[in-house]
Amino acid sequence: MLPARRVTQSASMSILWHPALRADWLVLRRTGAIAFVRILGVPVLLLTCCAALACGDFYRGYGWCLAAAALLALGGSHAIAHQGLLDALERWQLGWCAALPVARGAAARTLLLITIVALTASLVIVTVLLLGVSFGAPHRGDLPYAFAGIALALVAGTALAILRVFRRGAFAAHHADGIREPVLAAEWLNDPRLPHLLDWQRRAALVRWRRGGSLVMVGLVLGTVPMGAPMLEVAALVLLVLSWSWLALVMRASADATSLAVTLLGAEPLDMRRARLASFRYPLVAAACALLPMAAGAILGRSGVAALAWMVCACAFSAWPFVRILRATRAESPA
Amino acid sequence: MTALLRAKRVCVAYGDARVLDGIDLEITRGEFVALIGPNGAGKTTLLHAIAGIAPVCGGTVDIAGHDLAKAPREAKQSIGLAIDPPSLPELLTGREGLALFAGARGLPAIPRTTLALAETLSLTSVLDRRVASYSLGMRQKLGILLGLIGEPPLLLLDEPFNGLDPRSALAFKAHLAALAAKGDASVLLATHSLDIAERHATRVVLLMDGRVRRSWDADELAAMREQPERSLEKGMAEACEKES
Repeated sequence: MLPARRVTQSASMSILWHPALRADWLVLRRTGAIAFVRILGVPVLLLTCCAALACGDFYRGYGWCLAAAALLALGGSHAIAHQGLLDALERWQLGWCAALPVARGAAARTLLLITIVALTASLVIVTVLLLGVSFGAPHRGDLPYAFAGIALALVAGTALAILRVFRRGAFAAHHADGIREPVLAAEWLNDPRLPHLLDWQRRAALVRWRRGGSLVMVGLVLGTVPMGAPMLEVAALVLLVLSWSWLALVMRASADATSLAVTLLGAEPLDMRRARLASFRYPLVAAACALLPMAAGAILGRSGVAALAWMVCACAFSAWPFVRILRATRAESPA
Repeated sequence: MTALLRAKRVCVAYGDARVLDGIDLEITRGEFVALIGPNGAGKTTLLHAIAGIAPVCGGTVDIAGHDLAKAPREAKQSIGLAIDPPSLPELLTGREGLALFAGARGLPAIPRTTLALAETLSLTSVLDRRVASYSLGMRQKLGILLGLIGEPPLLLLDEPFNGLDPRSALAFKAHLAALAAKGDASVLLATHSLDIAERHATRVVLLMDGRVRRSWDADELAAMREQPERSLEKGMAEACEKES
Protein backbone atom coordinates (compact mmCIF):
# COMPACT_ATOMS: atom_id res chain seq x y z
CA MET A 1 0.00 0.00 0.00
CA LEU A 2 1.25 3.47 -0.80
CA PRO A 3 2.09 5.59 2.22
CA ALA A 4 -0.40 8.34 2.92
CA ARG A 5 1.08 11.73 2.23
CA ARG A 6 0.01 15.09 3.37
CA VAL A 7 -1.51 16.97 0.41
CA THR A 8 0.07 20.38 0.17
CA GLN A 9 -1.29 23.33 -1.72
CA SER A 10 0.54 24.28 -4.86
CA ALA A 11 2.51 27.50 -4.86
CA SER A 12 0.11 29.11 -7.32
CA MET A 13 -2.91 28.51 -5.09
CA SER A 14 -3.25 31.08 -2.39
CA ILE A 15 -5.28 30.41 0.73
CA LEU A 16 -6.65 33.95 0.67
CA TRP A 17 -7.79 34.33 -2.93
CA HIS A 18 -9.76 32.16 -5.33
CA PRO A 19 -7.50 30.55 -7.97
CA ALA A 20 -9.98 31.34 -10.77
CA LEU A 21 -9.13 35.02 -10.37
CA ARG A 22 -5.76 34.48 -12.04
CA ALA A 23 -7.32 32.36 -14.78
CA ASP A 24 -10.02 34.99 -15.44
CA TRP A 25 -7.36 37.68 -15.63
CA LEU A 26 -5.33 35.66 -18.15
CA VAL A 27 -8.44 35.05 -20.29
CA LEU A 28 -9.26 38.75 -20.16
CA ARG A 29 -5.75 39.74 -21.23
CA ARG A 30 -5.71 37.26 -24.08
CA THR A 31 -9.18 38.23 -25.34
CA GLY A 32 -7.92 41.73 -26.10
CA ALA A 33 -9.21 45.27 -25.85
CA ILE A 34 -12.81 44.37 -26.71
CA ALA A 35 -13.13 42.37 -23.49
CA PHE A 36 -12.04 45.38 -21.43
CA VAL A 37 -14.43 47.66 -23.32
CA ARG A 38 -17.30 45.24 -22.69
CA ILE A 39 -16.57 45.09 -18.98
CA LEU A 40 -15.83 48.77 -18.42
CA GLY A 41 -18.32 50.21 -20.94
CA VAL A 42 -21.50 50.10 -18.87
CA PRO A 43 -19.99 51.38 -15.56
CA VAL A 44 -18.21 54.25 -17.34
CA LEU A 45 -21.43 55.11 -19.19
CA LEU A 46 -23.31 55.14 -15.88
CA LEU A 47 -20.78 57.48 -14.25
CA THR A 48 -20.80 59.76 -17.30
CA CYS A 49 -24.61 59.93 -17.18
CA CYS A 50 -24.46 60.83 -13.47
CA ALA A 51 -21.99 63.63 -14.17
CA ALA A 52 -24.07 64.82 -17.14
CA LEU A 53 -27.22 64.90 -14.98
CA ALA A 54 -25.40 66.92 -12.31
CA CYS A 55 -24.68 69.58 -14.97
CA GLY A 56 -28.34 70.59 -14.75
CA ASP A 57 -27.65 71.97 -11.25
CA PHE A 58 -24.14 73.25 -11.97
CA TYR A 59 -25.17 75.33 -14.98
CA ARG A 60 -28.92 75.97 -14.67
CA GLY A 61 -29.48 75.60 -10.93
CA TYR A 62 -32.55 73.36 -11.37
CA GLY A 63 -32.13 71.96 -7.88
CA TRP A 64 -33.33 68.40 -8.56
CA CYS A 65 -30.60 67.11 -10.83
CA LEU A 66 -28.17 66.11 -8.06
CA ALA A 67 -30.84 63.95 -6.43
CA ALA A 68 -31.60 62.34 -9.77
CA ALA A 69 -27.89 61.71 -10.41
CA ALA A 70 -27.54 60.12 -6.97
CA LEU A 71 -30.58 57.93 -7.59
CA LEU A 72 -29.18 56.88 -10.94
CA ALA A 73 -25.84 56.05 -9.28
CA LEU A 74 -27.64 54.06 -6.57
CA GLY A 75 -29.71 51.98 -8.96
CA GLY A 76 -26.99 51.57 -11.57
CA SER A 77 -24.23 50.58 -9.18
CA HIS A 78 -26.55 48.12 -7.48
CA ALA A 79 -27.61 46.50 -10.76
CA ILE A 80 -24.05 46.26 -12.12
CA ALA A 81 -22.54 44.93 -8.88
CA HIS A 82 -25.40 42.47 -8.30
CA GLN A 83 -25.24 40.99 -11.78
CA GLY A 84 -21.43 40.91 -11.83
CA LEU A 85 -21.12 39.20 -8.46
CA LEU A 86 -23.78 36.61 -9.30
CA ASP A 87 -22.16 35.83 -12.65
CA ALA A 88 -18.73 35.41 -11.05
CA LEU A 89 -20.13 33.20 -8.29
CA GLU A 90 -21.96 31.07 -10.83
CA ARG A 91 -18.80 30.70 -12.91
CA TRP A 92 -16.64 29.85 -9.90
CA GLN A 93 -19.04 27.58 -8.04
CA LEU A 94 -20.44 25.68 -11.02
CA GLY A 95 -17.75 26.05 -13.66
CA TRP A 96 -14.47 24.28 -14.35
CA CYS A 97 -12.96 25.34 -11.02
CA ALA A 98 -15.92 24.11 -8.94
CA ALA A 99 -14.04 21.01 -7.76
CA LEU A 100 -10.80 22.77 -6.85
CA PRO A 101 -9.76 22.57 -3.21
CA VAL A 102 -10.45 26.24 -2.60
CA ALA A 103 -9.99 27.62 0.90
CA ARG A 104 -13.20 28.40 2.77
CA GLY A 105 -14.35 31.95 2.11
CA ALA A 106 -11.80 32.52 -0.67
CA ALA A 107 -14.48 33.20 -3.27
CA ALA A 108 -16.24 35.76 -1.06
CA ARG A 109 -12.95 37.44 -0.11
CA THR A 110 -11.82 37.65 -3.73
CA LEU A 111 -15.14 39.03 -4.95
CA LEU A 112 -15.19 41.59 -2.12
CA LEU A 113 -11.67 42.68 -3.08
CA ILE A 114 -12.65 43.07 -6.75
CA THR A 115 -15.79 44.99 -5.78
CA ILE A 116 -13.84 47.35 -3.51
CA VAL A 117 -11.23 47.97 -6.22
CA ALA A 118 -14.00 48.64 -8.78
CA LEU A 119 -15.81 50.95 -6.34
CA THR A 120 -12.62 52.90 -5.60
CA ALA A 121 -11.94 53.27 -9.33
CA SER A 122 -15.54 54.47 -9.84
CA LEU A 123 -15.12 57.09 -7.11
CA VAL A 124 -11.92 58.34 -8.74
CA ILE A 125 -13.57 58.47 -12.18
CA VAL A 126 -16.66 60.28 -10.89
CA THR A 127 -14.45 62.82 -9.05
CA VAL A 128 -12.50 63.56 -12.21
CA LEU A 129 -15.72 63.80 -14.26
CA LEU A 130 -17.43 66.14 -11.78
CA LEU A 131 -14.35 68.34 -11.53
CA GLY A 132 -14.21 68.47 -15.31
CA VAL A 133 -17.88 69.23 -16.00
CA SER A 134 -18.19 71.81 -13.20
CA PHE A 135 -15.14 73.78 -14.26
CA GLY A 136 -16.27 77.39 -14.71
CA ALA A 137 -19.92 76.55 -13.94
CA PRO A 138 -22.00 79.31 -12.26
CA HIS A 139 -23.12 76.98 -9.44
CA ARG A 140 -19.78 75.29 -8.83
CA GLY A 141 -20.41 75.52 -5.09
CA ASP A 142 -22.68 72.47 -5.46
CA LEU A 143 -19.65 70.32 -6.33
CA PRO A 144 -19.06 68.91 -2.80
CA TYR A 145 -22.78 68.03 -2.51
CA ALA A 146 -22.72 66.40 -5.93
CA PHE A 147 -19.67 64.35 -5.10
CA ALA A 148 -20.98 63.37 -1.67
CA GLY A 149 -24.39 62.42 -3.05
CA ILE A 150 -23.11 60.34 -5.96
CA ALA A 151 -20.30 58.73 -3.95
CA LEU A 152 -22.67 57.78 -1.13
CA ALA A 153 -25.12 56.39 -3.66
CA LEU A 154 -22.40 54.31 -5.35
CA VAL A 155 -21.26 52.91 -2.00
CA ALA A 156 -24.82 52.22 -0.84
CA GLY A 157 -25.83 50.56 -4.13
CA THR A 158 -22.75 48.33 -4.14
CA ALA A 159 -23.13 47.46 -0.45
CA LEU A 160 -26.77 46.50 -1.01
CA ALA A 161 -25.72 44.26 -3.91
CA ILE A 162 -23.07 42.56 -1.73
CA LEU A 163 -25.62 41.96 1.03
CA ARG A 164 -28.16 40.55 -1.42
CA VAL A 165 -25.67 38.23 -3.13
CA PHE A 166 -24.03 36.87 0.02
CA ARG A 167 -27.14 36.40 2.14
CA ARG A 168 -27.90 32.79 2.96
CA GLY A 169 -29.64 30.90 0.15
CA ALA A 170 -29.42 33.79 -2.33
CA PHE A 171 -27.17 31.98 -4.77
CA ALA A 172 -29.34 28.85 -4.82
CA ALA A 173 -32.43 30.98 -5.51
CA HIS A 174 -30.61 32.80 -8.29
CA HIS A 175 -29.53 29.54 -9.91
CA ALA A 176 -33.07 28.19 -9.71
CA ASP A 177 -34.31 31.14 -11.80
CA GLY A 178 -33.75 29.03 -14.89
CA ILE A 179 -36.26 26.50 -13.59
CA ARG A 180 -39.12 28.96 -13.05
CA GLU A 181 -41.88 29.19 -15.62
CA PRO A 182 -43.22 32.34 -17.29
CA VAL A 183 -46.55 33.51 -15.82
CA LEU A 184 -48.41 32.79 -19.07
CA ALA A 185 -47.62 29.49 -20.79
CA ALA A 186 -48.83 30.64 -24.27
CA GLU A 187 -47.73 27.43 -25.98
CA TRP A 188 -49.80 28.32 -29.05
CA LEU A 189 -47.16 30.94 -29.86
CA ASN A 190 -44.61 28.24 -30.69
CA ASP A 191 -43.76 27.63 -34.33
CA PRO A 192 -44.61 23.95 -34.95
CA ARG A 193 -41.83 23.72 -37.55
CA LEU A 194 -39.18 24.52 -34.93
CA PRO A 195 -40.97 23.86 -31.66
CA HIS A 196 -39.84 25.34 -28.35
CA LEU A 197 -37.37 27.80 -29.83
CA LEU A 198 -39.85 30.46 -28.73
CA ASP A 199 -40.00 28.91 -25.24
CA TRP A 200 -36.23 29.10 -25.10
CA GLN A 201 -36.29 32.80 -26.06
CA ARG A 202 -39.08 33.59 -23.58
CA ARG A 203 -37.36 31.83 -20.69
CA ALA A 204 -34.04 33.49 -21.48
CA ALA A 205 -35.79 36.88 -21.43
CA LEU A 206 -37.61 36.00 -18.23
CA VAL A 207 -34.44 34.97 -16.41
CA ARG A 208 -32.78 38.26 -17.40
CA TRP A 209 -35.78 40.34 -16.39
CA ARG A 210 -36.02 38.73 -12.97
CA ARG A 211 -32.29 39.13 -12.38
CA GLY A 212 -32.17 42.71 -13.63
CA GLY A 213 -34.45 44.09 -10.94
CA SER A 214 -37.39 45.68 -12.72
CA LEU A 215 -38.18 47.67 -9.58
CA VAL A 216 -34.87 49.48 -9.95
CA MET A 217 -36.03 50.71 -13.35
CA VAL A 218 -39.24 52.17 -11.92
CA GLY A 219 -37.24 53.78 -9.12
CA LEU A 220 -34.78 55.28 -11.56
CA VAL A 221 -37.49 56.72 -13.76
CA LEU A 222 -39.36 58.20 -10.81
CA GLY A 223 -36.10 59.54 -9.42
CA THR A 224 -35.33 61.56 -12.52
CA VAL A 225 -38.75 63.23 -12.63
CA PRO A 226 -38.68 66.86 -11.40
CA MET A 227 -40.63 67.76 -8.28
CA GLY A 228 -44.18 68.87 -8.92
CA ALA A 229 -44.51 67.20 -12.31
CA PRO A 230 -48.11 66.29 -13.25
CA MET A 231 -49.08 62.75 -12.25
CA LEU A 232 -50.26 61.80 -15.73
CA GLU A 233 -46.93 62.76 -17.26
CA VAL A 234 -45.05 60.74 -14.64
CA ALA A 235 -47.23 57.71 -15.43
CA ALA A 236 -46.62 58.25 -19.14
CA LEU A 237 -42.86 58.39 -18.61
CA VAL A 238 -42.88 55.21 -16.50
CA LEU A 239 -44.90 53.38 -19.17
CA LEU A 240 -42.59 54.51 -21.96
CA VAL A 241 -39.32 53.71 -20.16
CA LEU A 242 -40.46 50.39 -18.72
CA SER A 243 -41.82 49.12 -22.02
CA TRP A 244 -38.67 50.20 -23.84
CA SER A 245 -36.35 48.56 -21.32
CA TRP A 246 -38.43 45.38 -21.42
CA LEU A 247 -38.45 45.33 -25.23
CA ALA A 248 -34.68 45.89 -25.43
CA LEU A 249 -34.08 43.07 -22.96
CA VAL A 250 -36.42 40.68 -24.83
CA MET A 251 -34.69 41.47 -28.12
CA ARG A 252 -31.22 40.80 -26.72
CA ALA A 253 -32.32 37.59 -24.99
CA SER A 254 -34.05 36.37 -28.17
CA ALA A 255 -30.97 37.05 -30.29
CA ASP A 256 -28.72 35.24 -27.78
CA ALA A 257 -31.07 32.24 -27.56
CA THR A 258 -31.28 32.07 -31.37
CA SER A 259 -27.49 32.09 -31.72
CA LEU A 260 -27.20 29.29 -29.16
CA ALA A 261 -29.95 27.27 -30.84
CA VAL A 262 -28.39 27.60 -34.32
CA THR A 263 -25.00 26.50 -32.90
CA LEU A 264 -26.64 23.58 -31.10
CA LEU A 265 -28.43 22.51 -34.27
CA GLY A 266 -25.25 22.92 -36.34
CA ALA A 267 -25.10 19.27 -37.36
CA GLU A 268 -28.82 19.09 -38.21
CA PRO A 269 -30.26 19.61 -41.70
CA LEU A 270 -31.87 22.84 -40.54
CA ASP A 271 -33.81 24.94 -43.05
CA MET A 272 -32.41 28.38 -42.25
CA ARG A 273 -35.38 30.20 -43.77
CA ARG A 274 -37.72 28.37 -41.44
CA ALA A 275 -35.35 28.89 -38.55
CA ARG A 276 -35.33 32.64 -39.26
CA LEU A 277 -39.13 32.81 -39.34
CA ALA A 278 -39.36 30.86 -36.09
CA SER A 279 -36.70 33.08 -34.48
CA PHE A 280 -38.53 36.31 -35.33
CA ARG A 281 -41.87 35.16 -33.94
CA TYR A 282 -41.28 35.98 -30.27
CA PRO A 283 -39.41 39.28 -30.79
CA LEU A 284 -42.20 40.49 -33.10
CA VAL A 285 -44.94 39.49 -30.64
CA ALA A 286 -42.95 41.19 -27.86
CA ALA A 287 -42.55 44.36 -29.95
CA ALA A 288 -46.30 44.43 -30.61
CA CYS A 289 -46.96 43.97 -26.87
CA ALA A 290 -44.49 46.73 -25.98
CA LEU A 291 -46.06 49.16 -28.42
CA LEU A 292 -49.36 49.02 -26.49
CA PRO A 293 -48.00 50.54 -23.23
CA MET A 294 -45.88 52.91 -25.33
CA ALA A 295 -49.02 54.10 -27.11
CA ALA A 296 -50.80 54.39 -23.75
CA GLY A 297 -47.87 56.44 -22.47
CA ALA A 298 -48.08 58.68 -25.52
CA ILE A 299 -51.80 59.25 -24.97
CA LEU A 300 -51.31 59.97 -21.26
CA GLY A 301 -48.41 62.31 -21.92
CA ARG A 302 -50.50 64.25 -24.46
CA SER A 303 -47.39 64.98 -26.46
CA GLY A 304 -47.96 63.10 -29.67
CA VAL A 305 -44.82 64.14 -31.53
CA ALA A 306 -42.47 63.48 -28.60
CA ALA A 307 -44.08 60.10 -27.92
CA LEU A 308 -43.91 59.13 -31.57
CA ALA A 309 -40.24 60.15 -31.70
CA TRP A 310 -39.69 58.08 -28.54
CA MET A 311 -41.35 55.02 -30.05
CA VAL A 312 -39.36 55.34 -33.27
CA CYS A 313 -36.11 55.68 -31.29
CA ALA A 314 -37.05 52.75 -29.04
CA CYS A 315 -37.82 50.52 -32.02
CA ALA A 316 -34.64 51.62 -33.84
CA PHE A 317 -32.42 50.93 -30.83
CA SER A 318 -34.14 47.60 -30.20
CA ALA A 319 -33.71 46.54 -33.82
CA TRP A 320 -30.01 45.68 -33.54
CA PRO A 321 -30.73 42.18 -32.16
CA PHE A 322 -32.88 41.60 -35.28
CA VAL A 323 -29.72 42.02 -37.33
CA ARG A 324 -27.98 39.48 -35.06
CA ILE A 325 -30.82 36.99 -35.62
CA LEU A 326 -30.57 37.55 -39.38
CA ARG A 327 -26.82 36.94 -39.26
CA ALA A 328 -27.17 33.83 -37.09
CA THR A 329 -29.71 32.27 -39.43
CA ARG A 330 -27.94 33.29 -42.64
CA ALA A 331 -25.13 30.77 -43.10
CA GLU A 332 -26.08 27.28 -44.23
CA SER A 333 -22.80 25.86 -43.01
CA PRO A 334 -19.61 27.16 -41.42
CA ALA A 335 -17.70 25.23 -44.03
CA MET B 1 -20.28 -1.45 -51.60
CA THR B 2 -20.80 2.33 -51.92
CA ALA B 3 -19.32 4.46 -49.19
CA LEU B 4 -21.72 6.26 -46.86
CA LEU B 5 -18.95 8.61 -45.79
CA ARG B 6 -16.03 9.57 -47.94
CA ALA B 7 -13.60 12.06 -46.40
CA LYS B 8 -10.66 12.99 -48.63
CA ARG B 9 -7.60 14.89 -47.44
CA VAL B 10 -9.60 16.75 -44.79
CA CYS B 11 -7.68 19.54 -43.07
CA VAL B 12 -8.81 21.64 -40.12
CA ALA B 13 -6.75 24.44 -38.62
CA TYR B 14 -7.39 26.72 -35.65
CA GLY B 15 -5.21 29.73 -36.36
CA ASP B 16 -1.72 28.48 -37.07
CA ALA B 17 -2.32 25.12 -35.42
CA ARG B 18 -3.23 22.38 -37.91
CA VAL B 19 -5.47 19.96 -36.00
CA LEU B 20 -6.31 17.63 -38.89
CA ASP B 21 -3.77 17.16 -41.65
CA GLY B 22 -5.06 15.36 -44.73
CA ILE B 23 -7.40 12.75 -43.25
CA ASP B 24 -8.75 10.07 -45.60
CA LEU B 25 -11.60 7.98 -44.26
CA GLU B 26 -14.32 5.89 -45.86
CA ILE B 27 -17.20 4.21 -44.08
CA THR B 28 -19.70 1.87 -45.73
CA ARG B 29 -23.21 0.98 -44.53
CA GLY B 30 -23.28 -1.26 -41.47
CA GLU B 31 -19.69 -0.52 -40.44
CA PHE B 32 -18.84 0.23 -36.82
CA VAL B 33 -15.65 2.27 -36.87
CA ALA B 34 -13.90 3.22 -33.65
CA LEU B 35 -11.61 6.24 -33.68
CA ILE B 36 -8.88 5.98 -31.07
CA GLY B 37 -5.85 8.06 -30.25
CA PRO B 38 -4.18 10.11 -27.55
CA ASN B 39 -5.64 13.35 -26.19
CA GLY B 40 -5.43 16.13 -28.76
CA ALA B 41 -5.09 13.70 -31.66
CA GLY B 42 -8.05 15.33 -33.45
CA LYS B 43 -10.80 12.74 -32.87
CA THR B 44 -13.48 15.24 -31.81
CA THR B 45 -12.41 17.71 -34.49
CA LEU B 46 -12.75 15.00 -37.15
CA LEU B 47 -16.29 14.22 -35.96
CA HIS B 48 -17.12 17.94 -36.02
CA ALA B 49 -15.61 18.36 -39.50
CA ILE B 50 -17.76 15.47 -40.77
CA ALA B 51 -20.82 16.99 -39.04
CA GLY B 52 -20.16 20.35 -40.71
CA ILE B 53 -19.60 22.31 -37.50
CA ALA B 54 -15.80 22.64 -37.68
CA PRO B 55 -14.42 24.87 -40.44
CA VAL B 56 -12.63 22.68 -42.96
CA CYS B 57 -9.66 24.39 -44.62
CA GLY B 58 -8.95 21.70 -47.19
CA GLY B 59 -10.26 18.45 -48.62
CA THR B 60 -13.82 17.22 -49.14
CA VAL B 61 -16.44 15.43 -47.08
CA ASP B 62 -19.02 13.46 -49.00
CA ILE B 63 -21.96 11.93 -47.12
CA ALA B 64 -24.40 9.60 -48.90
CA GLY B 65 -23.36 11.10 -52.22
CA HIS B 66 -23.73 14.74 -51.13
CA ASP B 67 -20.79 17.11 -50.83
CA LEU B 68 -20.99 18.66 -47.35
CA ALA B 69 -19.64 22.02 -48.58
CA LYS B 70 -21.95 22.30 -51.58
CA ALA B 71 -25.13 20.67 -50.27
CA PRO B 72 -24.91 20.82 -46.45
CA ARG B 73 -28.61 20.20 -45.79
CA GLU B 74 -28.77 17.10 -47.96
CA ALA B 75 -25.53 15.77 -46.48
CA LYS B 76 -26.63 16.46 -42.91
CA GLN B 77 -29.86 14.48 -43.47
CA SER B 78 -27.69 11.37 -43.31
CA ILE B 79 -25.76 12.12 -40.12
CA GLY B 80 -26.62 12.23 -36.46
CA LEU B 81 -24.16 13.80 -34.03
CA ALA B 82 -24.63 13.07 -30.33
CA ILE B 83 -24.63 16.39 -28.50
CA ASP B 84 -21.93 17.15 -25.98
CA PRO B 85 -23.60 17.35 -22.49
CA PRO B 86 -22.43 20.89 -21.65
CA SER B 87 -23.96 22.22 -24.88
CA LEU B 88 -27.51 21.08 -24.08
CA PRO B 89 -30.19 23.80 -23.74
CA GLU B 90 -30.60 24.23 -19.98
CA LEU B 91 -33.79 26.29 -20.23
CA LEU B 92 -35.71 23.56 -22.08
CA THR B 93 -36.99 20.24 -20.80
CA GLY B 94 -35.58 17.04 -22.27
CA ARG B 95 -38.81 16.46 -24.21
CA GLU B 96 -38.78 20.02 -25.57
CA GLY B 97 -35.17 19.56 -26.69
CA LEU B 98 -36.14 16.36 -28.51
CA ALA B 99 -39.08 18.15 -30.18
CA LEU B 100 -36.76 21.00 -31.26
CA PHE B 101 -34.34 18.55 -32.89
CA ALA B 102 -37.20 16.61 -34.48
CA GLY B 103 -38.48 19.89 -35.94
CA ALA B 104 -35.02 20.72 -37.27
CA ARG B 105 -35.06 17.36 -39.09
CA GLY B 106 -38.49 18.14 -40.52
CA LEU B 107 -40.27 15.54 -38.39
CA PRO B 108 -43.78 16.40 -37.13
CA ALA B 109 -43.16 14.92 -33.66
CA ILE B 110 -40.62 13.03 -31.60
CA PRO B 111 -40.29 9.60 -33.29
CA ARG B 112 -41.50 6.54 -31.39
CA THR B 113 -38.11 4.88 -31.76
CA THR B 114 -36.49 7.80 -29.91
CA LEU B 115 -39.01 7.55 -27.08
CA ALA B 116 -38.46 3.78 -26.98
CA LEU B 117 -34.70 4.31 -26.67
CA ALA B 118 -35.35 6.87 -23.92
CA GLU B 119 -37.28 4.16 -22.10
CA THR B 120 -34.44 1.67 -22.64
CA LEU B 121 -31.97 4.19 -21.22
CA SER B 122 -34.30 4.93 -18.25
CA LEU B 123 -34.68 8.58 -19.20
CA THR B 124 -38.46 8.74 -19.70
CA SER B 125 -39.21 9.68 -16.10
CA VAL B 126 -37.13 12.87 -16.29
CA LEU B 127 -37.97 13.97 -19.84
CA ASP B 128 -40.35 16.66 -18.57
CA ARG B 129 -37.77 18.18 -16.24
CA ARG B 130 -35.55 21.10 -17.27
CA VAL B 131 -32.11 20.04 -18.54
CA ALA B 132 -30.56 22.37 -15.93
CA SER B 133 -31.57 19.85 -13.26
CA TYR B 134 -30.08 16.81 -15.06
CA SER B 135 -27.07 14.86 -13.81
CA LEU B 136 -24.11 14.19 -16.14
CA GLY B 137 -25.44 10.72 -17.00
CA MET B 138 -28.91 12.07 -17.83
CA ARG B 139 -27.38 14.77 -20.02
CA GLN B 140 -25.25 12.17 -21.80
CA LYS B 141 -28.35 10.07 -22.49
CA LEU B 142 -30.26 13.08 -23.81
CA GLY B 143 -27.29 14.05 -26.02
CA ILE B 144 -27.31 10.52 -27.48
CA LEU B 145 -31.07 10.64 -28.11
CA LEU B 146 -30.74 14.00 -29.87
CA GLY B 147 -28.09 12.53 -32.17
CA LEU B 148 -30.18 9.48 -32.99
CA ILE B 149 -33.44 11.30 -33.79
CA GLY B 150 -34.82 10.35 -37.19
CA GLU B 151 -32.52 7.32 -37.40
CA PRO B 152 -29.83 8.88 -39.61
CA PRO B 153 -27.67 6.27 -41.39
CA LEU B 154 -24.36 7.63 -40.05
CA LEU B 155 -24.01 8.13 -36.30
CA LEU B 156 -21.18 10.29 -34.99
CA LEU B 157 -20.56 9.61 -31.31
CA ASP B 158 -17.92 11.24 -29.15
CA GLU B 159 -17.24 9.31 -25.93
CA PRO B 160 -20.96 8.52 -25.54
CA PHE B 161 -20.42 6.13 -22.63
CA ASN B 162 -18.97 8.78 -20.30
CA GLY B 163 -21.19 9.06 -17.25
CA LEU B 164 -23.60 6.30 -18.30
CA ASP B 165 -24.53 3.77 -15.64
CA PRO B 166 -23.44 0.19 -16.52
CA ARG B 167 -27.00 -0.94 -17.35
CA SER B 168 -27.62 1.95 -19.73
CA ALA B 169 -24.16 1.59 -21.27
CA LEU B 170 -24.83 -2.10 -21.95
CA ALA B 171 -28.25 -1.33 -23.45
CA PHE B 172 -26.80 1.38 -25.67
CA LYS B 173 -23.93 -0.84 -26.86
CA ALA B 174 -26.47 -3.53 -27.75
CA HIS B 175 -28.60 -0.93 -29.57
CA LEU B 176 -25.61 0.27 -31.62
CA ALA B 177 -24.47 -3.25 -32.41
CA ALA B 178 -27.99 -4.18 -33.54
CA LEU B 179 -28.24 -1.09 -35.78
CA ALA B 180 -24.87 -1.83 -37.37
CA ALA B 181 -25.61 -5.56 -37.77
CA LYS B 182 -28.91 -4.86 -39.54
CA GLY B 183 -27.03 -2.52 -41.87
CA ASP B 184 -29.40 0.32 -40.91
CA ALA B 185 -26.69 2.53 -39.56
CA SER B 186 -22.97 3.03 -39.59
CA VAL B 187 -21.23 4.22 -36.48
CA LEU B 188 -18.16 6.40 -36.12
CA LEU B 189 -17.25 6.34 -32.46
CA ALA B 190 -14.46 8.42 -30.92
CA THR B 191 -13.39 6.73 -27.73
CA HIS B 192 -10.58 6.12 -25.27
CA SER B 193 -12.18 2.86 -24.22
CA LEU B 194 -10.11 0.32 -26.16
CA ASP B 195 -12.22 -2.46 -24.69
CA ILE B 196 -15.34 -1.14 -26.44
CA ALA B 197 -13.40 -0.58 -29.66
CA GLU B 198 -11.98 -4.11 -29.58
CA ARG B 199 -15.24 -5.86 -28.75
CA HIS B 200 -17.77 -3.95 -30.83
CA ALA B 201 -16.03 -2.24 -33.73
CA THR B 202 -15.60 -3.75 -37.18
CA ARG B 203 -12.67 -1.41 -37.83
CA VAL B 204 -10.44 0.65 -35.56
CA VAL B 205 -8.60 3.75 -36.76
CA LEU B 206 -5.72 5.25 -34.81
CA LEU B 207 -5.42 9.01 -35.10
CA MET B 208 -2.25 10.80 -33.97
CA ASP B 209 -1.24 14.42 -34.46
CA GLY B 210 -4.10 14.97 -36.86
CA ARG B 211 -3.24 12.04 -39.14
CA VAL B 212 -4.39 8.45 -39.54
CA ARG B 213 -1.45 6.36 -38.29
CA ARG B 214 -2.84 2.86 -38.39
CA SER B 215 -6.04 0.90 -38.72
CA TRP B 216 -7.13 -2.58 -37.72
CA ASP B 217 -9.70 -4.39 -39.85
CA ALA B 218 -12.35 -6.90 -38.76
CA ASP B 219 -10.05 -9.91 -39.15
CA GLU B 220 -7.30 -8.39 -37.04
CA LEU B 221 -9.84 -7.43 -34.37
CA ALA B 222 -11.30 -10.95 -34.39
CA ALA B 223 -7.79 -12.34 -33.92
CA MET B 224 -7.26 -9.99 -30.99
CA ARG B 225 -10.45 -11.19 -29.32
CA GLU B 226 -9.23 -14.78 -29.60
CA GLN B 227 -5.64 -14.12 -28.55
CA PRO B 228 -5.54 -11.85 -25.49
CA GLU B 229 -1.79 -11.27 -25.91
CA ARG B 230 -2.51 -9.39 -29.16
CA SER B 231 -4.68 -6.69 -27.60
CA LEU B 232 -5.56 -3.34 -29.16
CA GLU B 233 -3.87 -1.69 -26.19
CA LYS B 234 -0.54 -3.28 -27.14
CA GLY B 235 -1.08 -2.49 -30.81
CA MET B 236 -1.75 1.15 -30.03
CA ALA B 237 1.26 1.37 -27.69
CA GLU B 238 3.50 -0.11 -30.39
CA ALA B 239 2.18 2.32 -32.99
CA CYS B 240 2.73 5.25 -30.62
CA GLU B 241 6.29 4.11 -29.79
CA LYS B 242 7.09 3.66 -33.46
CA GLU B 243 5.87 7.17 -34.09
CA SER B 244 7.89 8.74 -31.30
